Amino acid sequence: MAKVDPFTREIIAQGLIAASEEMFLTWGRTSQSTIIYEVLDYAAGLTDSKGNLIGQANGVTGFLGAITYSVTATLDKFGLENLKPGDIILTNDPFTGSGTHLCDVSAVLPVFYEGEIVAFAANKGHWNEIGGKNLGSWSTNATEIYQEGLQFPVIKIYEEGKLNEAVRDMIAANCRTPDMTLGDLYAQTASLRIAEKRVLELLDKYGKEAVLESIENLLENGRKLALKELARMPKGSFEADGYIDANANNLGNVPIKVKVTITDEEFIIDLTGSGEQVAAPINCCKYGAFSAGRIIYHAILNPDAEPNEGFYSPLKVIAPEGSVFAAVRPAPVSTNWEATSHITDLVAKALAPVVPERITAGHFLSIIGTILAGIDDVTKQPYVLCEPQAGGWGAGCNKDGESGLVAIADGETFMIPAEVAEYKYPIIVEQYAFNTKTGAGKFRGGCGLIRDYRLLNSNGELTTIASKYQFPPWGFAGGGDGSPNVVEVHKADGSEPVAGATFSNYPMYKGDLVRFISGCGGGYGDPLERPVDKVWQDIKDEYITVAEAASDYGVVVDPDTLEVNHEKTKELREKMRKTI
Amino acid sequence: MSLRIAVDIGGTFTDFVCLDEETGQLIEEKAHTTPGNFANGVINATKKTGINLEDTSYFVHGTTVVINAVTERKGAKTALVTTGGYRDALEIGRANRPDLYNYFYQKPKPYVPRHLRFEVHERLNYKGEVLKPVSENEVVEIAKKIAKEGATAVAVCLLHSYANPEHERLVGKILARELPGVEITISSNLIKEWREYERTSTTVLNAFVKPAATKYLDTLQKQLEEMGLGIEPHAMLSNGGTATFARSKEVPITLIESGPVGGVIGAAALGKIIGEENIITFDIGGTTAKTSLISKGEVKVTTDYRLEWTPKFAGYPVKTPIVDIIEIGAGGGSIAWIDDVGVLKVGPQSAGADPGPACYGQGGEEPTLTDANLIAGRIDPDSFLGGEFKISIDLARKAMQPIADYFGISVEEAALGVIKTANYNMLNALKLISVRRGHNPRDFAMVAQGGNGAVHGPFLAAELKVKKLIVPNYPATFSAWGMLMTDLRQDFIQTQIMPVAGCDLERVNAIYREMEQEALAVYEKQGIAPENVVFVRTADLRYIGQEHTVRTPVGGGIIKESDLPLIRQAFDRNHHQQYTFSLESAPTEFVNFNLTAFGTVKKPEIKKMDPAGSIEDAIKSERVIDFDEQGRLKCHVYDRAKLGPGHKIEGPAAVEESKSVTILYPGQSLVVDEYGNLIIDTGV
Repeated sequence: MAKVDPFTREIIAQGLIAASEEMFLTWGRTSQSTIIYEVLDYAAGLTDSKGNLIGQANGVTGFLGAITYSVTATLDKFGLENLKPGDIILTNDPFTGSGTHLCDVSAVLPVFYEGEIVAFAANKGHWNEIGGKNLGSWSTNATEIYQEGLQFPVIKIYEEGKLNEAVRDMIAANCRTPDMTLGDLYAQTASLRIAEKRVLELLDKYGKEAVLESIENLLENGRKLALKELARMPKGSFEADGYIDANANNLGNVPIKVKVTITDEEFIIDLTGSGEQVAAPINCCKYGAFSAGRIIYHAILNPDAEPNEGFYSPLKVIAPEGSVFAAVRPAPVSTNWEATSHITDLVAKALAPVVPERITAGHFLSIIGTILAGIDDVTKQPYVLCEPQAGGWGAGCNKDGESGLVAIADGETFMIPAEVAEYKYPIIVEQYAFNTKTGAGKFRGGCGLIRDYRLLNSNGELTTIASKYQFPPWGFAGGGDGSPNVVEVHKADGSEPVAGATFSNYPMYKGDLVRFISGCGGGYGDPLERPVDKVWQDIKDEYITVAEAASDYGVVVDPDTLEVNHEKTKELREKMRKTI
Repeated sequence: MSLRIAVDIGGTFTDFVCLDEETGQLIEEKAHTTPGNFANGVINATKKTGINLEDTSYFVHGTTVVINAVTERKGAKTALVTTGGYRDALEIGRANRPDLYNYFYQKPKPYVPRHLRFEVHERLNYKGEVLKPVSENEVVEIAKKIAKEGATAVAVCLLHSYANPEHERLVGKILARELPGVEITISSNLIKEWREYERTSTTVLNAFVKPAATKYLDTLQKQLEEMGLGIEPHAMLSNGGTATFARSKEVPITLIESGPVGGVIGAAALGKIIGEENIITFDIGGTTAKTSLISKGEVKVTTDYRLEWTPKFAGYPVKTPIVDIIEIGAGGGSIAWIDDVGVLKVGPQSAGADPGPACYGQGGEEPTLTDANLIAGRIDPDSFLGGEFKISIDLARKAMQPIADYFGISVEEAALGVIKTANYNMLNALKLISVRRGHNPRDFAMVAQGGNGAVHGPFLAAELKVKKLIVPNYPATFSAWGMLMTDLRQDFIQTQIMPVAGCDLERVNAIYREMEQEALAVYEKQGIAPENVVFVRTADLRYIGQEHTVRTPVGGGIIKESDLPLIRQAFDRNHHQQYTFSLESAPTEFVNFNLTAFGTVKKPEIKKMDPAGSIEDAIKSERVIDFDEQGRLKCHVYDRAKLGPGHKIEGPAAVEESKSVTILYPGQSLVVDEYGNLIIDTGV
C-alpha cells in the first residue's frame, strides 16, 4: 500500500538526488584545493543503509563506483552495530573498496534517524598531496603501493563527532603540504553534513516510511530502465582484446581481453585472460574495475540515466585476482586510470559492431596525465604544472568524431588556457592546434591535439604517461584507425627528439620543448561512402590533403582550383572498391 | 515631451509600456511578436496605443535580435585572426565534456570554420612584452584571403592582448584599410580579460552579429523617426543598463540578453521605492521561468555567461557582463508527459503560443501547466487575458485524461500532480539562485512577474521560506516597466595580476583613470554630461595559488597605500561569504580591475495610488479553487482594478487582473500598498 501519491514520491526521490548534488557543490565551493573546484576530480552521493547507491553527482566519470564501495567497505569492517551518530569514516584503501589510488580519499557518514541508520552520505575526491615518493604523490614509476603515499584503511577520523587528533597529526606529518591536505579533509567532511541535513529534512517533512518507499521506488525505476534497455540490445557474448601499451618501467605491453555477455537480465563484463599485475602503477584494483564497468555500461545502456544501484543491478564485472584489473598488495596503482580506461575501451570495442547506435569508435583514451615541475629561477619557489590532455574522439554511425575533448575517464575537466599557463609557469605555449591524422571513414575520427611547452626556466622535470602509443584508437564498420598518443621532447640543441609513452622525472633545461601529441579518433564506415562534398570541405578546411582525399577517400580534386573531378572520382572509387 | 516608452520583444508578445510623466498615467499594450521582421511588432504595438511619438522624451527597447541571430546562426560570414599556433583554439575550447557518459556528445560547433581562421605570427608574453612583432605583409596577405572568401566580418583575438592591445590594434587597422566595408572587431575593444578561448568566443560572436544588429537597429530607428520620434532611442543591455542605438551597434554582443533583464532591473527599482533591498525576482512566462537575485539593492552581474549552456552542453562563453539570471523550461505552456519508467515530467518542451495549451482550442492536444491550473480552478476560463480570449476547460480535461488514466486517478488529481511537479522544478531554480549561492531566503522578498508569476509565486515563496511576496502593478508587462527605470551603463575589466602587498599603485591608478576616461568619452557621444556619470570600482582578488577570484569593492579617487589593507579586509569578508572560509594570513593578488560607469538619466516619478471604494465592491465572484493538501475551497475572487491602498484580503482568495491572477493560499494574507502593489504575507 502506497504511503504517498506518485508525484510526492518522485519529489522525495528528487530531493535525495538533489542532496547529493548539493553536497557536491558545497564541497566545490568550500575547498581550498584547485583539483577539487577547478578540475572537479571528486564525487558525492547517498546510499541506503545497505550501501545501495541512491544518487550521485560527479565531476569526472572515474568515481562512479566510489560511493557504493566505500560504504560497503565501511559496513564490512564495522557493521551497522558499531557505527555511531557523528562517526565519519575515512578510506583510500584501493584494495578494500576505495578503488582508485591513494590520492583519492573517501569519507562516509552514517545518517541516523530515530536511532537507526537510514542512509549513508559519502564522498570521494583527489587530495593534492598524501605523501609518498613524489610531490603530488602519484608517479609513473612506482613499484609498490608503499611508495605512493599514506594509507587510510577504513578508519574513523571522527568518532561520535570528535576528531581523531592522532590521525590528524600523522596526516600532517606525512604530507608535503599539511595545511592544504587538512583543509581538504575539513571541507570534504563538512560537506557530508549538508547531505545529512537535507535527508533529515525530508524525513521530518514526509516521514520515514514515505522516504524509504521513495528510495525503494527510485531503485526499482532504475532497474526497470536498465532492463528496458537490455531488452533492446542483441543477446550473446562478444569479445575484444588489446594491450595496455604505456610501457611503464619498461615492462612492455600488458595483454588484456574481455568477454561481454548480454542477456535479458544481465550485462556481464568478464576480464578473465587479461595479463597479471605489474610492478608499475598502471594496475587497478577490482573496485576500480567495477567502477570502470559502470562507466561503459552507463554509456551504452543510457547515458541520461540517473546513477543508482537499481540501474547498475544487471551489471556484473569479473576480474581475476592478481590480474592487472584486480591487483592485490603490494601492487602500485597510482596511474590506475590506464587500466580502468582500457576496460571501458575493451567493452566498447567488443560491442561497437553489434550496437553501433550506442557507441562510437575508439578515442585517444589515455588522459595523458602530466606533471612538469621544478624550481622557478626567478621566485626560487617550486612550480608544478599538473594536468591531463585532451584528444580526438571516434566517429559514430551518424557523426564525425569530436576534436579536442577530454578522455572518458575525465569529464567536466577544463584545459588550462595558454594565457594562464604562461603566467603561472615558466613556459611559452608555442602551439595549441589540431593533430589531423584522423581515422578515415564514412564518418571520420576527430582530431587529436598538439600542445607545445617551451621551458623558459633553467630546470624542470617531466612526468607523463600515455598508453595508446603503439596501438591507435580503433575504427569500425570499415572505418580506419586513428593515430596514437606520443610525447616528444625536443632539445634546445636541436638533437634528435626523444619520443615515448612514459616519462618519469625526465630532466628538462632552458629552451627544451615538450610536445604532447594526442591521438585522433577512429573512423566509422567505408571511407568510399563519405559524401564527396564532405571530403571537399575537409580539404578546404585543411583536415586532409588533396593526396589523402584520393588515397583514403577516392575523391579526385584539382590541387590548384580545388575543383572536384566527379568523373575521375567515380572511376577511382569503383577501382578502390574492387581491390578491397 | 513627457512620454517615457519601453518596448520589450518576447517570444510570443511584444510588450509596450508608456508612462506619462505629467499625469503619471501608465499605459500597457501587447502585440504579437512578428518573427522575420521584429520591427513590425514594435510598430504595431506602438500604433495600437495611438500614442504620438513626437511627445517622447525617452525611448528604450529590449530586443531579441542579437540572441536570435546567434542561436539561429543567421549572422555574417565571419573570419578570425589569431596568434600563430592558435588557429584551432576557438574550436578546441576548454575541451570539457559535460555530458559525462555520452559517447555521442557534440561540442559547440565554432561560428568560424577552419578555413576562415588565420594566423598572424606575432607574439607577446603575459607581461605584454613583444617577443615577435606583427608583420604588415603577413596581415595584408591574410586580408587578401579573407576578401577572396567573401567574409563580411572579421574578429581579431591575439594572445595577451589584455596586457597590451597594440598588436591587435595594428592588425585591426591594417585589415580595416585592406577590407573596406568589412566589420572588424578586435577583442581588446570588448574585454581586456585573460583566457584566450573565452575572449575569442566573445569577439567572434560580436563580429558575427554586427551586420544583422546594425541593420535591425537602423531600420527600426528610421521607422520610429517616420512616426515622429525625435530623440535618439536606447537599447536595453544585458548588464542591466542602456546605451544609445549608435553605441549598441558597435558592441552588439552586449545586447545578447537584452530582453530578460528588464524585469530584474524593475524589481530593483521597485525595491528602492518601497524599501526592499534584498529581492528574489521570479518571472513565469509561457515557456520559461526566470529568477535572479538582488542583494543590498545591487543586481548581480556575471561574466560567466555561456550561451546555449545546459548541464550537458558546454555552450559558448560570452565574457561581457550580463545580469545573473537562471532560466528553466517551466512556463504556462510547458507540456506534461510520462517518461520511460512511468514518472510524470513537466517541460522543458512547451506548446508555445502556437498551438498553445490544449484549452486554447488551437489544436494543442497535450496537457500543459496552464491546462492544469485551469482544471484546479486557479485560472478562470471566463476572464483569461481579461476575457478577450476564450479558453475551454473541457479541452483541458480531455488533454489531462491520459495522465489520469496512466496513474489510475481522477483528472483533478492528475492536474494537481502536474502543478506539483512544475512547482518542484521552479523551486529548484529558486534554490539555485539563493540557497545554493549561500543566501538565506528569509532575508529576501520575492517579486512575482510574468503572466503566471503570481499564480505560483505565493505557494513557492512559502516553500522557499520567503516571508514577503510582492505582486507589482501590471505584472505581465513588468519587464518593460523595468526598462523605464534604467540608467546607461558601461562595464570595463582589465586583467593585471599583481600582489596586493607592495603593488604598483601608480599602475593601479592609471588603470582606473584610463577606464574612466574611456567611459566619459563614450558617454560624451551619447550626450551624457560628466556630472551625471557615476563610477563604481571593484577589483577581482584571490589568494595567491588559488584560481577563482572574488569581486571586492574599491573606493574612488586616487588609491593610496593606506587603502590596501581595507581592500584586503573587504576581500576576506566577501570570500568568507561566498566560500565559507578566508585565509587572513595568506598573501593575495589582484587579477582584474573593474569599473562600472553609470550614465544617470532622469527617472519617472512613480505616483501613489488614489484610494478606492470598499473592499466588498472589489469582489467580483466566488469560485472553488483546489489548494491540494489544503483542500478544495470556495474563495472570493477580487478585481484588482477595484482594489486600493490599505485593502486587506485573507487567503484563500484570488485576485484577477487583465493579464494575470494572484492565488492566495489559506493562512496567507494580502495588503495593497500605497502604490497599488499587492504585498503578500506568505505565512512562514
